[in-house]
Amino acid sequence: MTHPSESDLALYAGNDLGWFARRRAQHHLAGCRQCRDEVEGFASLRDELAGRNELPALSWNRLAAEMKANIRLGLAAGECVRGEPSGAALAWMGGGRAVAACASVMALLAAGLFIERPSPPAPQVTASDSAVLRATANGIELNQGGQTLSLLDGRSDKVTYSAGAQGSMRARYVDSDTGNVTINNVYVQ
Amino acid sequence: MFSKLAILLVAGVAALSAQDTPLDPYNSVKINLPADSPLTLISANLGSSHASFRGSAVVLDLKMALTLRNSSPNRVRGVTLLVAAQEVTPGGKASVSVPSLDVSPGQNFPVRIDLRLLRPGQMGSGPLVQVNLDGVLFQDCSFYGPNRLDSRRTMIAWEMEAQRDRKFFKSILASHGLDGLKHAMVESIARQNDRPRLDVQVSRGRAVSGAAVPEHTAQFAFLRFPDAPVEPVEGWAEISGNEARNPRIDVRNLSPKQVRYVEIGWIVTDRKGKQFMAASVPASGPQFNLKSGSTSRVLQDTALRFSKDRGESVFIDKMTGFVSQVEFSDGKIWIPNRESLANAQLLGILAPSPEEQRLTDLYLKKGPQALADELGKF
Repeated sequence: MTHPSESDLALYAGNDLGWFARRRAQHHLAGCRQCRDEVEGFASLRDELAGRNELPALSWNRLAAEMKANIRLGLAAGECVRGEPSGAALAWMGGGRAVAACASVMALLAAGLFIERPSPPAPQVTASDSAVLRATANGIELNQGGQTLSLLDGRSDKVTYSAGAQGSMRARYVDSDTGNVTINNVYVQ
Repeated sequence: MFSKLAILLVAGVAALSAQDTPLDPYNSVKINLPADSPLTLISANLGSSHASFRGSAVVLDLKMALTLRNSSPNRVRGVTLLVAAQEVTPGGKASVSVPSLDVSPGQNFPVRIDLRLLRPGQMGSGPLVQVNLDGVLFQDCSFYGPNRLDSRRTMIAWEMEAQRDRKFFKSILASHGLDGLKHAMVESIARQNDRPRLDVQVSRGRAVSGAAVPEHTAQFAFLRFPDAPVEPVEGWAEISGNEARNPRIDVRNLSPKQVRYVEIGWIVTDRKGKQFMAASVPASGPQFNLKSGSTSRVLQDTALRFSKDRGESVFIDKMTGFVSQVEFSDGKIWIPNRESLANAQLLGILAPSPEEQRLTDLYLKKGPQALADELGKF
């Protein structure tokens, strides 16, 4: 079975995959627990990071007012240095200027808003005091503050997991290469 | 426009070239064996270990193949290595154990450690992972090692289980021949395949998730083995939907000896009446002192969340406990015998012992005669 790439699974978890690719991934995920676990992992990581990426406080109204005021000041200054308009042609030109000014204002506003739009900060993994142990499709994973330590059990398709209430998780399997039983243990303190 | 494209192109090429970086074995891993260790490190191969980048985080895939030599005059039965990555998970550690070994003096044997670390930022300069010897168990149940993980008790218990299960299969071979052994193996394999599996998520000090179901205190029912030196008296846990918290179980020492470790097996029954092995609840340490005839409490500040199959929550209806291991203050260990487990119908719920798992694997790969030969070695 060919699994979707890790990046496709990550995009799927974030609902960012295109329609066809999404359908393909959905079809695969229906029958592949390993990939479902991967998707779940990406989704939980995404939720965790999203919770930490609060948008910076920004006063949009104040920004717009400042920009409008600057534009008005510029227009007023232009009026001061401009000669008296006369005749129909001038009236038409005056109307054209108004339209151009409005368009300029709109373009300036749009550019300002685009440039000053708040962008989410880069994902950062911060420390947290809680630690969670769980069995994944690949092994045992200890997640603490977004950092993870995983002991993998890739050399067998038959793994027995058991939990210890003191905060441990154990994976036991027969190594297909050596025939030896291998027991991986991860502890949280 | 062109300058932006050029920057993007350069960044892309840089990102691609940085995606997979082979790890320097000398700086990535430190393997510490004491000077008087009964094991000698023959080689440490990091093979395809590499570092890759996922967003702003670094993912390190360590695939270690260690070759160790038994430099002692005794046969080695088990080894436990402590794996620490303090920089990544300050509160976490891991171990890799290989029980059910039979390594003669001077013989080499492999130990594999596959580890993945995910951490933010760049790689540090010191060793990422330290591997220390925690214990070696010999044929005569003597032990070497610092025993930081209580490996001595764990490995002796595995060895006792191995002896118990080998004795069981050898008795079948003796009384019913190869056909009987085949039948017993098929039964064991079927049990292993049919054993209900439960996904457990363990969290210390807080609930795994904020469950919407109201919490209530549920009481344990207990299975009692006639030869158990410790009996469970009563016990409770906080239950909320598919979460169980803070198990506390009172146990009484029925034996004439002081007990320093008790482990309770914890079975949960879902609303459909299906039973699952949920966890083990151990009690040890200086605060746990179980003198002969006295009662003490097994207590853990832990939250467990149960699910199965495709993440389907397992809602807990009932809980059952049984004494699964006892260590006396003189270092002797008690485990349930096979008859007790069969009578309590636990064989279908519990995972097989490491030795039974190894023997069934040997039977599947090499057949009944190879298994009979293997049993004949002990």
